[in-house]
Order: sequence, then structure tokens, then C-alpha cells
Amino acid sequence: MSLLILENVTKRFGGLVAVDQVSLEIKHGEFVGIVGPNGSGKTTLFNVINGVFFPEEGRVIFEGLDITTLPPYKRAPLGIGRTFQIPRPFASATVRENVAVGAMFGTLSGKVNVDESLEIADQTIERVGLKEHRNKQAGTLTPVEKKLMEIARALAMKPKLLLMDEAMAGMHPNDIDQMVAFIKQVAEEDKIAIVAMVEHIMRAVVGMAEKVIVLHQGAKLVDAPTKEALEDPKVVEVYLGRPSEK
Amino acid sequence: MKKESTKYYPLIPVFAAYLVLFLIGRNVPGMWQLVAMLLFYCALGQAFNIFLGMTGYVDFGYVAFMGVGTYGMALAITKLAHIEGLGIAIIIIGFVMALFMATLLSLAVGAVALRLRGAYFAIATIGVNEGLRFFIEGARIWNGSEGLIFTAQLNQILGRETASTLMTFWADIMVLIIAVSAAFITLYYIRSKIGYALTALREDEDAAKVMGINVTKYKIIAFVTSACFAGLLGAASWALKTPYVFPPEVFEIHYTIEAIIIVLLGGSGTLLGPVVGGLIYGISKYYLSIFIPGFQLLIFAPIIIIIIVLFPEGVVGMLKNRFKDSALAQFII
Repeated sequence: MSLLILENVTKRFGGLVAVDQVSLEIKHGEFVGIVGPNGSGKTTLFNVINGVFFPEEGRVIFEGLDITTLPPYKRAPLGIGRTFQIPRPFASATVRENVAVGAMFGTLSGKVNVDESLEIADQTIERVGLKEHRNKQAGTLTPVEKKLMEIARALAMKPKLLLMDEAMAGMHPNDIDQMVAFIKQVAEEDKIAIVAMVEHIMRAVVGMAEKVIVLHQGAKLVDAPTKEALEDPKVVEVYLGRPSEK
Repeated sequence: MKKESTKYYPLIPVFAAYLVLFLIGRNVPGMWQLVAMLLFYCALGQAFNIFLGMTGYVDFGYVAFMGVGTYGMALAITKLAHIEGLGIAIIIIGFVMALFMATLLSLAVGAVALRLRGAYFAIATIGVNEGLRFFIEGARIWNGSEGLIFTAQLNQILGRETASTLMTFWADIMVLIIAVSAAFITLYYIRSKIGYALTALREDEDAAKVMGINVTKYKIIAFVTSACFAGLLGAASWALKTPYVFPPEVFEIHYTIEAIIIVLLGGSGTLLGPVVGGLIYGISKYYLSIFIPGFQLLIFAPIIIIIIVLFPEGVVGMLKNRFKDSALAQFII
């Protein structure tokens, strides 16, 4: 059974078609990159998957369950975690409390009490390497630390699918390599399928994804293994324009 | 994390403040009136803090819950006065009535207004107290603009002596009990899942939703809890202290503003904050009205400016940061 299936999903904002008849399939434990230039509908697609928006047409199926109109707070416990492009920590709470929130509300049983979630938080924070910052207010972290904290917060939810919105944007190349290695390792250990959205940093895509889906003006342009997808002339055209006539 | 015994340490400074207030009021002649006013402001701050402080939503119509609470008590007394032998039980019925009416109103307001966020919520709620006031006056329910006066009924049910001590002493003790219970509930909320959910939604409601938090549910929990305390406070401090109720007096937005100032001044979302805020606000208002009469009405603006400039997190928020790593930290929440 596939983990996530989108069937002809369309999301409009007034006359603007942000996501246009997109179908895709993600298997358990798979690493998929969603690539596309600015405004191609990547973020909207994410928002449709985790319930921030409901699509006008089409269906979203998670582990065989139709979740098309399920509110986001009911989707998270099913196993859909998310990080944001610009980190959105709960700024006044400590790192530990932030991560504990993930464990407390993001797990299916819903029966994780406060003390247990703080324990889970401690383990997860150690995993992402923020141990010495755990009692700091999340708002005071550096941008990279905030990203790590968001990943920890999502991991504490024990997701089956992790949506990563531009996890590498604005990072130093060395950090990117480290981050890629870390995410890969975590995904393998926890058997998490990762859908990473990437605008420009192809280095990250090549390093991570088994499969790449390219979006262009809301529609799916290419859905193929990474190398093949990135060399596709259509993709090159979307990013760089048409080759000039000789 | 915290051991069971240290879990309730933050209540110590809160209760110490109330104890000192109580002892001053009982032992220093002529002070009970000031103490009663301070207790009222502390209780008001604590009740409002459960909603404003923990969710970050500003409810400008908050006084409406105190208003209906006052009416709850007033109605219980006026309508049930003819029943023989009720005695003190009528006060309990009054409180139940106040709770019931505040809950009902908060569910109705919450179901509509809590769909809105930030400034939109604040503006939507401004209409609540004014609307209720004009509704009661216009539709002439509960005696309309003539209000309910029930001094006679109180005297008749409880006897002149008891009724008089009720008004001058026991009503204030009830306010104190309300304040103490609000402190317990606040700490319980802060330490439980509810507190974590409220912090998350206060900081970033969309992120909170994506983390699996049913934000509407937790907002309503905070809203109704806060409204219930307001209802009880109205019943105790307004209906029992001054046994009459007039719509323009109990739906006066002025009290909402005072509640907002107390919470922000003390430190919103903290346990100790509303107590500190209530004391500072109440004492400055009281002595200003004695030494520079008229100026107590002007203190809102300077207080707000001082809060914003000097300590945007309130007095307790500032102390909390300063003593973060010291032994005092476990007492200040």
C-alpha cells in the first residue's frame, strides 16, 4: 500500500489555479524531492497534503484513508509531520517545550502525558544535537538551530511522512551536506518517507532524493528518478529558459 | 522533570500576597476597604489572564461575563426570595446561576468570535457588553434599565445582621476564594497539556494546528474557564457587595480595560503576574484618588506607556528572565 496518494488534486485561489490536476504517489520510506521555480505551487501542494487548505477537486489518500477534508490537527497524529520554510518556533517556549508539544499532540494515541513527552523531547533534542540549547527560548536560537529544532519537533511526532519545506534554504554548503546526511540517516532509522521541497539548492536534491517531482505553474511536469528528472530538457527549460536558436 | 513537592512552589508567593493582604485588612483599622479593592483587582486579573495571558487573544467584551454573573446572583435572590427557609443556600444557588449564565454566554460568544483572530476577534467582542446592555434595557428583560434591587430580599432571607456582614466582609472573602481557585486552575493549566497547547497557539496558531493541536478546543477551554471566573467574580463582588444591578454599571467597558492593564502590567501568561499587576494598579489608583483626586482616571495611559517601554513582558515576566538561573526561578511562574 502506498503511503500517500494524490488523485487529480486541484486547488484554486479565485481565478488562480495554484495546483492543477496533480497526481502523485509516495511509498513508505521513500525520499522524494519536489522541485519547481518560485510560484510553481509547491507550498500550496504541501498545504493541501497537511490540511491547511482543502482542494476543490481530487482526493488525498493517506495509508488508504481518504483525508481530503480532514482538518490539519487530525492529520498530524496519523503521521504527517511538517517543517516550515521560515522556521516557526513557539518563540517564548523553550526548545524542550517546543519539541514536547510535537510528542504530546502529534502522536496517534493522544495519550502521551506531559512528563513522557518531555522525555521524548530530550531524546529527540539530543539526536539533532541541540542538547546544550534545550532550556533556551526557541526564539533566541540561530536560524540553523531553529531548523534543527523544527526537525526535532516533527520527529517527536513519530511521523510516517515528513514534509520539509525548503529545509536547506539559506544554509552554508557545509551545513547543507551535514543536514542532508543527518536527514537521510534519520529517515532510514525511523523509516520515514520524506518529501522535501526545494527551490534552488539542487545539491540537496541530488544528495537526497530517489525521485523528483517537478512542478511548473501548478501542474506536474516531470515525475522521475532524480538524475533523469534533472536532465530532462523540459525541466532545464523551466529553470533556464529555451536554448537560443543557433 | 519537576518533583511532586516542588510542583506547587509557584503558588507560594501568590498565597503569601493574599495572606499579607488579609492580615493587613483584618488588623489595621480602616484598611479593609482598600484590601477588598485590591483583592477584586487581583482576582479580576487572574480570571482574565487565563484567557488573555494564555491565548494572547484580547477580549474587549470581557466585562459582559461579570455582568451576567451579577445578574445570575441577582435573579436567584429576587426570584427565589419568597421560598421559605432557603437561608444561605440562596447564595450558593446564585453562584451556580452565575456560573451557568457565564458559561452559556461564553460558549455563544466563543462559537462565533473565536473563529476570528487577533484584531478581528478583539473588535468582534467589543460589541458584546454594549449589545447585552442595550438588549436588556431595550427588551426590558430582568426589569430593563430600572435594574434589580434586592437589599430588602437579602435582609428578609438572611436577617439584617447576616446580610450586613455578608456585604461588608463575606463577599470580599468570596472574592479571595475565587482568586485562590483561579491561581490553582492557572497553575494546573500551565503544567498540563492545556498550557502547552495554549502556548503553542498563542505563538503561532497555524504551526500549532499542523502539530496536531485542536486549537479551537483549547481556545474555548480557556475562554469558558476565564468567563466562569468572571461570572463568579461579578456575583460575589458586585451583586453581594452592593445588592443592586443596573445594566450600564455592570456592562461598563472600563472594567475590561482595567483587566487588560492589570494582566499586561503584571506579566501576561504568568501565574504571579496578575497578582502583582492588581496590587500595583489598585494601590496607585487608590492613593492617587486620595492625594491628587481626579488623576486616578488618567493613569491608564502612562501605565500602558511604561509597560511597553520598560517591560513589555510585564513585571513578573521581567523578574522571570532576571532570575532564570537562580533558585528563585521555581517560585516565579
